[in-house]
Amino acid sequence: MIKIRNLHKSFGDNRLFKGIDLDVAQGEVVVLIGPSGSGKSTLLRCINGLEVFEEGEIDVDGIALHSLNQERPSRDDLEAIRQVRLKVGMVFQQFNLFPHMTVLENIIEAPVHVLGTERRKAEEEALMFLSRINLEKKAHVRPGTLSGGEQQRAAIARALAMKPRAMLFDEPTASLDPETVGEVLSVIRDLVQQEGMTTLISTHEMGFAREVADRIVVFDNGDIIETAPPEQLFSSPQNDRTRTFLARILRKA
Amino acid sequence: MLSPSLVLNRSIRTRNGIDTVDESMLRFTMFRATASVILFPICAFLLFSPTLSFATPPTTVQKIKARGVLLWGSDAEGGAPYVFPDPKDPARLVGFELDIAETVAKKLGVRAQLVQTAWDSLIPALERGDYDMAMNGLEIIAEREKRVLFSRPYYYYTLQLMVRKDEMMINGIKDLQGRTVGTLAGAVAHEMLKKIDGVDIRSYSAAWPYEDLALGRLDAVFLDTPITVYYGKPDQRLKCAGPPVGGGFYGIAFRKGEDDLKNVIDSVIEDLLRSGELKRMYEAWGLWDESQENLLEQSSSPDAGQRFRIASNDAPLFSFLPLLLKGAVMTILLSVVSMALALALGLLLAFARLYGPRPFRPVSTAYVEIFRGTPLLIQLFILYYGLPNIGITLSPFAAAIIGLGMNYAAYEAEVYRGGIEAVPRGQMEAALSLGMHRSLAFRRIIFPQAFRISLPSVTNDFISLLKDSSIVSVIAMVELTKTYGILAATTLRYFELGLIAAILYFCMSYPLSILARRLEKRLKGQT
Repeated sequence: MIKIRNLHKSFGDNRLFKGIDLDVAQGEVVVLIGPSGSGKSTLLRCINGLEVFEEGEIDVDGIALHSLNQERPSRDDLEAIRQVRLKVGMVFQQFNLFPHMTVLENIIEAPVHVLGTERRKAEEEALMFLSRINLEKKAHVRPGTLSGGEQQRAAIARALAMKPRAMLFDEPTASLDPETVGEVLSVIRDLVQQEGMTTLISTHEMGFAREVADRIVVFDNGDIIETAPPEQLFSSPQNDRTRTFLARILRKA
Repeated sequence: MLSPSLVLNRSIRTRNGIDTVDESMLRFTMFRATASVILFPICAFLLFSPTLSFATPPTTVQKIKARGVLLWGSDAEGGAPYVFPDPKDPARLVGFELDIAETVAKKLGVRAQLVQTAWDSLIPALERGDYDMAMNGLEIIAEREKRVLFSRPYYYYTLQLMVRKDEMMINGIKDLQGRTVGTLAGAVAHEMLKKIDGVDIRSYSAAWPYEDLALGRLDAVFLDTPITVYYGKPDQRLKCAGPPVGGGFYGIAFRKGEDDLKNVIDSVIEDLLRSGELKRMYEAWGLWDESQENLLEQSSSPDAGQRFRIASNDAPLFSFLPLLLKGAVMTILLSVVSMALALALGLLLAFARLYGPRPFRPVSTAYVEIFRGTPLLIQLFILYYGLPNIGITLSPFAAAIIGLGMNYAAYEAEVYRGGIEAVPRGQMEAALSLGMHRSLAFRRIIFPQAFRISLPSVTNDFISLLKDSSIVSVIAMVELTKTYGILAATTLRYFELGLIAAILYFCMSYPLSILARRLEKRLKGQT
């Protein structure tokens, strides 16, 4: 469903991606791991157009994103990005809920104003989402009073309300207290296992990766150094750098 | 006598409570202390006070002669032919009053030096001691005679009404009902106009109103003859309406009590009159006419102001309230409309700067820098007096709103920009990733948050604007400050009226402050 070919991206003089490829099939769960700055977040943000890239192609469910001329993206390019965003939802490390609206209003905002869904219907669906993740009591509360875990769950509900065909999770639990990590991970787990959602997750939670991933992709310094199903990766990593990274991160855990 | 040290020891010991001190000793110490506390300042005062010399105090004239300079107050911005910059050499001042001042100074054996003062402030500045005498077309009237001493008259003025050449309906001041007339704030002409019902008076203190008359903003101008001679009559687009009316005398003003100076100046004027020198000076300026013969008969300052009874010094303070309130209403109206314009335009500018297409961004930045970087006063002058040159003539109200609005828009644009940039980047990213267009995201997500952040600065600016609105008085808009200025210039009750005006301003700004704080709290509670 998502195809990435020969992606090149630099930040100023620093070259990050020097021509990487990746495929994500429909219903597949791909987990991205690797040290900070290795490009995991950047790749996700390239997919939904929050980052521009210099060379290469990204294809999302038939919509092609060409490399974007940063100075003057054409209207077609901008519209293509917007279409991609309607198909692919994103959950951020910092939650990014809208602080001046209640949780319910956060969730129905895009369906009502972007898709044109009737408000009452949007509210009903939103409440349904919320009850499935045990947040219906907080529907009429502002995000400022919620805990981190509650906010992230609300953010997930907000992204799902747009009925995307794929979801991107950019280090979704990195900002949470250890106690609340679990509740968010279980929501994501339910989502991928029960709904069969095509998912890309970048994370440091190895146990979780092991549980849900169909495939794990290892990043280092902008390169994809290894790709394998979880059991294979954790038991016998092929690449030296993978081994070093896993050793470091598993020792920490 | 016991030495002081012994006394001191005693005191110390007493403080420690060891011995009872001899009562008389204590009393003596206290007496010496008290005496020195009282005597020392008296001695210092006597030694250093200049007024307590034992010779007769110097007269004002003696002081001036000792100084070598006669300081005289006048308003060079007031225009020709009184005192004004020579058009051929603006660094030099000329004018018939300048000539008189220099002649008088020469007779005293000193040189004359002009102390530039705004016309409305001539008398207060005289009272404050900024100069020895004030001369700038000050009409000798009862109100002023209560505060200052006048010389004998040096000019007999009349008032001349002028209209546009094509004006058919106005032939004298009786025809002014329902018309718009320009005059000088606080002058006798102004007072005369106030007596006529239904006249819309526009007062000017700087640029003369003849230009506005020619442009059609006024129906008539009513001012003293010297001004008419120089600005009105030469203008081909205007004509006189009826013969000159009224009439009175100009006098030089001195502080009360300085009779010696007055007497000396009076004798100088008398000399100039008798020798014909004054007549020659006026003829050179085109100001001499037969009525000036009156001057010879006026040996003392006549109380010519009887014809025009102006707002009495004895009027109770609250009688001024209606006029001041009317000014306050105009201030509020000006501020509210201008601020609305500033907020709307400012938002547009901020949006263009941050989200607009590339070519618009430098335009927005340029606007902000230009309007912030040039004085509001100049902007108003250009709008009001400059635009007619390219065919756009705005009413005072329109010019005021546009001027204030455009100026403050520059500041609000920056306030908004700050607010918008303070909203975390993630907010826009989240909105975009949900498929929103930039403009939708801005309208529903970014702007509401940016506004909450900007609110304290915006209300601050609004309160500023409320007071800045007083600046529009230079383009003939009458609001609270101008009303105060006019009333004060005529009644000379600067202090009391000033207090009332200040209180009115406070009553307008303080509720705003409170409202703003309440609004902030309410919004904050919702974040």
